[in-house]
Amino acid sequence: MEDIVCSGCALLCDDVAAEVKGEEISSLGLCRLGHQHLISSIKMHDAKSVVRDTGTEKTVSIGVALKKASEILLTAKRPLLYGWSHSTDETITKGIELAKSIGAAFDTTASLGLVQALIHKLHSKQLEIDLDYVRNNGEFILYWGSNPTESSHRHPSKFAVLPRGENIPEGIESRTIGVVDVRNTETMKMANHRLIIPPGADAELLDALSSDILGKSPITGDVAGISAQELLGLVRNVKKSDCTVIFYGSGLINSGNTEANLSGLQTLIESVREAGKQAFALPMATEPNIMGVTKNAVEAGDGDTLRRLVAGEFEAALIVGDDSLVELPGPAAKAFASIPLIYVGPPGGITDAKARVSIHVADSMLLGSGKMHRLDFVEVPYKQWSAHPKQPAAEFDVISRLHELVTKGLK
Amino acid sequence: MKLNPMELYNLLPKTNCRLCEPKTCMAFATKMALGDVLPDDCPPLLEEGFEKNLEKLRELVAPMQSAEETGIKLDDSKCTGCGNCVVVCPVDVAVEPETGHGKAGKSRDTVFIVENGISKIINLEKCRRFPPDRLNCRVCEQYCCTDAIEIW
Repeated sequence: MEDIVCSGCALLCDDVAAEVKGEEISSLGLCRLGHQHLISSIKMHDAKSVVRDTGTEKTVSIGVALKKASEILLTAKRPLLYGWSHSTDETITKGIELAKSIGAAFDTTASLGLVQALIHKLHSKQLEIDLDYVRNNGEFILYWGSNPTESSHRHPSKFAVLPRGENIPEGIESRTIGVVDVRNTETMKMANHRLIIPPGADAELLDALSSDILGKSPITGDVAGISAQELLGLVRNVKKSDCTVIFYGSGLINSGNTEANLSGLQTLIESVREAGKQAFALPMATEPNIMGVTKNAVEAGDGDTLRRLVAGEFEAALIVGDDSLVELPGPAAKAFASIPLIYVGPPGGITDAKARVSIHVADSMLLGSGKMHRLDFVEVPYKQWSAHPKQPAAEFDVISRLHELVTKGLK
Repeated sequence: MKLNPMELYNLLPKTNCRLCEPKTCMAFATKMALGDVLPDDCPPLLEEGFEKNLEKLRELVAPMQSAEETGIKLDDSKCTGCGNCVVVCPVDVAVEPETGHGKAGKSRDTVFIVENGISKIINLEKCRRFPPDRLNCRVCEQYCCTDAIEIW
């Protein structure tokens, strides 16, 4: 067994090991999601480069595919480079360079919610904290609109709920756990406070909690269907804890009331801090380098690209590591389907099948090079390992070669 | 222990015939609830007239027979490999302290290990529930969010 870094989700677990012996793939410490990701990454038997034109499909060399891709990008007046949350930081940087060279718009899958959250004023208050600090100090852990049991399996056991830490000698016995969601989730099994609220009631509940913590307007009756007794118990435990960490997920970001929810979250954090305790907020995300891509997108990305895509602004698109035709809302997916697409990523999915040019690339976990940003913005470099002798091209190399070809074409 | 000794006792012949090791029907029912004896270990139960009771008792103890000696059942299909069991198991933390801090267990000396994406019990005899101690420890079941671990 060799130590590896898992690219199955944004936790980027670096305490795991794996081994490949012929067709047999074994792992230690990888969760089900990570192990399945490892298997599908290794068994890329159908990895190839494909060019499709007027109903015909041809398997070609990577050089031919890249040439065709560069022609599409150079012909389009305004292309869009989209995806990137499964790419390493190095590949994202290369992608941004490519976008600048051809005057393309650059955007990422994080723009659907996470970027909104992170550029929100709440994160100008340095609310992020690294997960190792959470493990050592997080006394009150609140999952709000996020369910790690489904999306980031090891989040509770590795960082936030169960492990012992410097100031958390008894693990979960030294912490208080709360879960706020619109349904009964598996994570609630570990929680001391289980709050099931109606969809869209987040802001109301956040405001009520903040007001009570500050003593402005004490909770006297039900809020969002939760009894005053339950809420006062939660407030009491927040006030008692030296360090509160809220992990908010798409339930809070993408529930249609983003601004009010994020402002409410900010006020809650400020209230706890005013009460003399530490408080932090971290978004929960699933794609492996969603934080790396978010960081880059905030600095270099174009905003509002999906609305502009639907409006017909882009004439071609390069989609990297994302099955956008499946993942995106209907109008955006349809808009993508109506323009020439270049797909760079693992084989499989509708985007791959419909793209004018498809170039399959190896997973970063297998290549063992480059780095990504974990859920808490900590940089995690990949570890080299002798995974499998036959792997398709590296994504970084593909984007670099495409950049070179496009630059030549521009001259 | 999910089996109720009284429920089992009511299905026994209640003859206190002393043909079995526990000697009395109540003691036999209690042992059966713990998984130490099986309905077929009761000689009068195998006699004519008790067929329905025997069948019912076999049905009741069947899930426990698929459990380990500790009463732990681990359902692979429900397990997500989250590692909660590895981190909370007091034995695991004692033999590989890093697991208590959230690290994946790798030593193979622990009770639980997450291998190929799912949790496995590799050293059952180290479990605090293992006979003869039979401590009533249920932390792995308590913190298994997907209910993959069930203790009988």
